[in-house]
Amino acid sequence: MMNIDLKKQTRVIKENLFSSPVSTLLTFLTSYIMISFFRGMFGFATAPDKDWLSVLNNMQLYMVQAYPESDFIRIWICVGLGFIFSGLSVGLWETGEKTSLSKLCLTFSKIIFGIIFLTLIAPTTSVIVSTATGIREQVDVFSYAERIPLLSILLGLLVVFFLLSKINLNFNKSFLVSIYLFVPIVFLWLMKIPTIKLDAENQRVFPDPLMPIANSTKIPWTLIWMSFVAAYLIGIYFKNKKQFKTAVSISWVLLPLLIFSWIFKKPLIDLNELIRNDIPVFIGFLLVGVLTIYFINNKIVEKFYGYYLGLLVIVTLASLFLKVILLVKAGLLLLLLFSVIIPAVSTSAKGKRSLTIVWIVSLTTTAFLLEGGTSTTQIVVPGSSIFGGFSLTWLLAIFGTYVSFPLGVLLALGRNSSLPIIKGVCTGIIELVRSVPYITWLFFASVTMAVFLPDGVEFNLIVRVLIVTAFFSGAYFAENIRGGLQSIPKGQFEAADAIGMNTVQKTSLIVLPQALRAIVPTLVSSIITGFKDSSLVTIIGLFDFLTIGRMVIGNQSIPINFIGHDRENLLFIALVYWIFTFTLSRRSMKFEKRLGLGER
Amino acid sequence: MNKKAIVFLLVFAMVIVACGDTTDDAAVEATEEEHDHEGESTLEQVQERGFLKCGVSTGATGFTEVGDDGSYSGFDVDYCYAVAAAIFGDYSKVEFKQLTSAERFTALSAGEIDVLIRNTTWTQSRDTELGNDFGPTTYYDGQQLMGRVADGLSNSSTVADIDGLRVCTNAGTTTEKNITERVGLAGGTIQLITVEAFSEAIDKFIAGECDIVTTDGSGLVGRRAVNDALNDWVIFPTSPISKEPLGPTYRSNDSQWADIINWTVYATIIADEYGVTAANVDSADLEANPELGRLFGANDGELQTKMGLSADAYYNVIKQVGNYDEIFSRNLNPLGLFREGGDNDRWVDGGLIYAPPAR
Repeated sequence: MMNIDLKKQTRVIKENLFSSPVSTLLTFLTSYIMISFFRGMFGFATAPDKDWLSVLNNMQLYMVQAYPESDFIRIWICVGLGFIFSGLSVGLWETGEKTSLSKLCLTFSKIIFGIIFLTLIAPTTSVIVSTATGIREQVDVFSYAERIPLLSILLGLLVVFFLLSKINLNFNKSFLVSIYLFVPIVFLWLMKIPTIKLDAENQRVFPDPLMPIANSTKIPWTLIWMSFVAAYLIGIYFKNKKQFKTAVSISWVLLPLLIFSWIFKKPLIDLNELIRNDIPVFIGFLLVGVLTIYFINNKIVEKFYGYYLGLLVIVTLASLFLKVILLVKAGLLLLLLFSVIIPAVSTSAKGKRSLTIVWIVSLTTTAFLLEGGTSTTQIVVPGSSIFGGFSLTWLLAIFGTYVSFPLGVLLALGRNSSLPIIKGVCTGIIELVRSVPYITWLFFASVTMAVFLPDGVEFNLIVRVLIVTAFFSGAYFAENIRGGLQSIPKGQFEAADAIGMNTVQKTSLIVLPQALRAIVPTLVSSIITGFKDSSLVTIIGLFDFLTIGRMVIGNQSIPINFIGHDRENLLFIALVYWIFTFTLSRRSMKFEKRLGLGER
Repeated sequence: MNKKAIVFLLVFAMVIVACGDTTDDAAVEATEEEHDHEGESTLEQVQERGFLKCGVSTGATGFTEVGDDGSYSGFDVDYCYAVAAAIFGDYSKVEFKQLTSAERFTALSAGEIDVLIRNTTWTQSRDTELGNDFGPTTYYDGQQLMGRVADGLSNSSTVADIDGLRVCTNAGTTTEKNITERVGLAGGTIQLITVEAFSEAIDKFIAGECDIVTTDGSGLVGRRAVNDALNDWVIFPTSPISKEPLGPTYRSNDSQWADIINWTVYATIIADEYGVTAANVDSADLEANPELGRLFGANDGELQTKMGLSADAYYNVIKQVGNYDEIFSRNLNPLGLFREGGDNDRWVDGGLIYAPPAR
């Protein structure tokens, strides 16, 4: 694999890079531009007046802003759950694609070759710095002598990869993900970055230059990685269980709800009340539901079922106006909806079993979310928004998609509807939202929305922004989906009509699956746009990832002076944005390939 | 049970759910409306809410800063803490709203915030046209220019000396108007380069894309110290080209609220005049200084209770936040800004910091 056929390589280079005078010129021109760009960036990053500690020291601010340290466990649980479900999904939907160690080594060797080349062409900057004694002296940054250790390490790695490539070993491609995630964990344990402390005279001291970076994040990340691998293995094991796949898909939808009810709020659990009220109510509902499912075919039950339903309707109706705990109201509503569908579904043993599972899961989830969501206590931060930095960027990106996608589907269907009022309203909403810039909507959320809300009703700024974002991206989603709807040939509708499907069946079984499949690329690009556009919230004083680097860190004078160090932070932010958007777009390309888009 | 009945019941259930929801919401609104009377004063709203909403800057060195753990500090931030200490006896009962200069006044008049302490200059138009009132000035600033010694500029240079130079400043503020106005009066012409944030202006100045950078003096001093250019860059003219009195801003027509803010500021100044600090406030001799006694509520605190505050409101301010001098030195001395001999010195020492007597 690694034996380079020199003649063949020369020919490839000649054919691809220097095939004609014009392409030769273009090759040189592009390489020149690329190399000088790299040298410029490298010189910028290594200049001694850059204080990269301003990035590292503010990592907590970047990630969660003012979230109280005592409650970090909530964030870790949230991140951990995300990783566990990712692990399960990777395992469950793994494609079984194989890759070999030698192939992998070849890729790494290529990367190392690239790094060696970059190390060689990197510039040496000479700068004059004034030392502590006041003498000004010239210092070479990244001189050739300094590069030799680095180069020898790289060459050593190259040899290692060459030797590894001789081993014949095949493994699953999706398994690679856990290896890739393992690398940063190892770095967390090994890398040593000085932490800044100040002495009595406010001068910086570096107490222990060998102190490992961010002690507080090391253990949680390791645990999360281990649960990821465990989840991946569990996922592989249950690969052929269809119910398991459905459960994981549903969990993905429920996960954000959990964040809002248990991470945003800070429920105080009163154990007494829990045992006296909530648990008996919960068990009562559970039993009633299960018993109804199993005894529905009994003659006597069947006879009186109509009366039972009527009674249930009245009781539910009454409970809404009575002063009972919320769990009773929600449980009654849920029971009513279930009781209505029980006679239709619970006809076979299999139907009974799956309906019981659905009943238990939905009741438990409702109770659990209600417990958190109805809590009046929440986490207190000094600023106006509990989310800031990277957590805010993610919140806007994920919730923007999470809420706006169903909204978009509804709006698109409404716009295509044959009922004039629905059609008019949906068209109106889409056109109104799309014809006003996003920034204007943000200002609307920030200062004007309070006027439209009834007196005394007050939403948190973040919630207002989420509402606006949901409508804004929803309108764009709707137009994308409408494009998908129109791409469906008329024959499909006629065929559906011919076999006697009604409108709901036609839409949900024939039209939507095909329409959504056709627009996956557009949807992913919308999600990426949403992720990047979230930085616009800076205009209304919310502190997203970008704003923290741009406006906050460059103004810090207490306790550590980072005034004016905003350019290195901007570079760091650009890198992080690039990593995430690049990964997203790569993933979506793979996803499209699996759906077979563009091939049929 | 036939299918039709099922569908009917389903629809019926939906209708009930819908009705139930609306009635529920209406009930909630009704109860909430009871709390939200029309002419409720700002103080009542704040006390009912349990915390103060204070509008601060998105980032102004020394005035509003966010630390690496997300905590707030700075000169303006400390005055927000002081107001909260006066109202609740607990300085931490503040929710900070970081506002850009574009939305600060809208946020104030829309009721998003209770008080705006965001290095905002007191001007006639802002006072009269926007429905705001300004409290006592906490910091007397003024616009200055910063240039390079290499360009032949010195401490004694004036606006006339920058004729033909490139000047960087941030857009949309009074700074931009002031410099154009002053250069025009001096008969010169400049090339004005406007940027969004002041840090960009400094970056351009360092990169050599402009010869002069201008903003409030407090902003320039810190930047010069940080960039290790005390000998290479000069700040001029000695008397600033504009007056920038910075202080708290609140909505008009609520004099009770205005009094609370104003007297919180005055209390810090009076305490400074008597040399009472957070450390020694407990041992202050209230018998010998009756004014301090009245301010700290020693004799049943009539002055404070009439304002709707507790008798020891201003004692809490000094105890928890500190006096004017402490607030100033804590936040601005590290930047190289000092009170001595400047406008922000005590009135007895030739400065402008003065408070009416507490009687």
